Amino acid sequence: MLKLMKLEWEKNNVRKYMRNAVILAVILCLFMFALAYLGIANDPETGVPDAAPGNGTISAPVELFTSMSFLVFTSVMLSSFIVSAYKNRTMNLMFSYPIKRQKILASQMLAVWVFNFTALVLTKLLIYGCVLAGSCFMVSSFPLDFDMTGAGFYIQLIIKSAVVITMSFIALFIGMAMKSSKATIVASFLLILLTEANIGDFTMAGNVVFPVILTVISLIFAFLSVYRVETNDLM
Amino acid sequence: MAYILQTNHLSKIIGGKELVKDVSLHVRKGEIYGFLGPNGAGKTTVMKMITNLWKPTEGSIEIFGERLTPQSYGVLKRMGSIIEFPTFYDHMSGYENLKLHTEYMGYYHHGSIENTLDLLGLTEAAGKPVKNYSLGMKERLGIARAILCRPELLVLDEPTNGLDPAGMKQIRDLLKTLCKEYGITIMISTHILSEVESIADTVGVIHHGRMRKEIRMEEIRQMSLACIELSVGDRKKAAWVLSEKFGLTNFKIMEDGQIRIYDSRVSTEDLSKVLALNGVPVTALGKQAETLEDYFLKLTAEVRA
Repeated sequence: MLKLMKLEWEKNNVRKYMRNAVILAVILCLFMFALAYLGIANDPETGVPDAAPGNGTISAPVELFTSMSFLVFTSVMLSSFIVSAYKNRTMNLMFSYPIKRQKILASQMLAVWVFNFTALVLTKLLIYGCVLAGSCFMVSSFPLDFDMTGAGFYIQLIIKSAVVITMSFIALFIGMAMKSSKATIVASFLLILLTEANIGDFTMAGNVVFPVILTVISLIFAFLSVYRVETNDLM
Repeated sequence: MAYILQTNHLSKIIGGKELVKDVSLHVRKGEIYGFLGPNGAGKTTVMKMITNLWKPTEGSIEIFGERLTPQSYGVLKRMGSIIEFPTFYDHMSGYENLKLHTEYMGYYHHGSIENTLDLLGLTEAAGKPVKNYSLGMKERLGIARAILCRPELLVLDEPTNGLDPAGMKQIRDLLKTLCKEYGITIMISTHILSEVESIADTVGVIHHGRMRKEIRMEEIRQMSLACIELSVGDRKKAAWVLSEKFGLTNFKIMEDGQIRIYDSRVSTEDLSKVLALNGVPVTALGKQAETLEDYFLKLTAEVRA
């Protein structure tokens, strides 16, 4: 399985994605830093951050923007690893190998998942690290509400990242069903709206049960994507 | 007779449309099987089912004496194939594409990639990314990939598309060599008869999704399809001479006034001599052999009529 994943990375030019992920991480980091210390989100009249209720602390925008960006990034990768492989018929080639098809598809999904999960965790660590480092010299507009010395912080970070990346399987399923890379990416935007947006005071971002349900749904969709590949015709 | 590949009443229906109906074909071990049919006859559909990309709606396929099921992965290791157009990872070089292929096939044989590239005349282009390849080069790389892991059965779907006549000949020779020297069984589909005429041992003709005929090339050659074509001034008299002096019954007067004699015993010299002696001037005389092309056209035309 590990070997299959490695081959997937090799085939799909993973270096390009690595470069892009690093660029994305740096941009996000600069943006968050600016948010905290340069006051770009501050209301010019009052001088306090113009944030939605409940999003007043620094971890809210960090989680929001990293999750958003990487959810889209993941769906872009899934669409180029899998959906376009179906479209440009390299999947025909893959399925002529003496390897179980479920395993091929699972390895492709996992290759994307592992890559993005790692990237998201590292990006978050980078941002939190930078913000924390900045707090030694400046005062953040958003109060710091995280503690990088406690294990709880890391566990939460890992779980949250895993949930976000897993969610992209919903987008993959939709993309595969519609045989369209665009549909995959659009679906990921819709997922962001569903999970991160807030309508007035109401948001699903802070809910604890919701991510659990969503992850379960994602896993069901992931399973469905893989399940029928053995017996289905490859169009 | 042991068949390396055999289909039994294979049918495929997609969306209510019958793509292939009741196809039974038999490929002997070590032969080249030409799978002939006009465009859209169902050649690719059958080959997709053989390579397990599509599952038959009805009927079954046996490869290497084993019935093909959705879980048959072992047989894929012993097969090489090109279905429709070969696809590659365009940003990778030809060499890397082949290397990737060996990784997935689990075939590690030192020098096999270099040898195969050399065999297809791709050594120089091996380092270039495939997106810069011409159509013919991609086709050849596809063949290189199909034969790379020394398969026992080679399934090639129109492999000479996009090749120039010299390239086609080169591939034909290569396939012949592979068959003779390495004992690889080859099934090759095409809509151009001349492509397989010289190399195939057996041809199967498919038309409108149905198997029209499956016949050994030897049998076709033995069938007395040859005739003598004769153009004369006086047809009536000529016919009389033929039946009275030669004792021939096996001739036919064609619509265009020509006479066709389906009898291999008479020689053209005798004919012209006897006809001239009996006062029938001969304007043209020639031997005609029905080409495989005619035979093939006849087979595929029957349905249309």
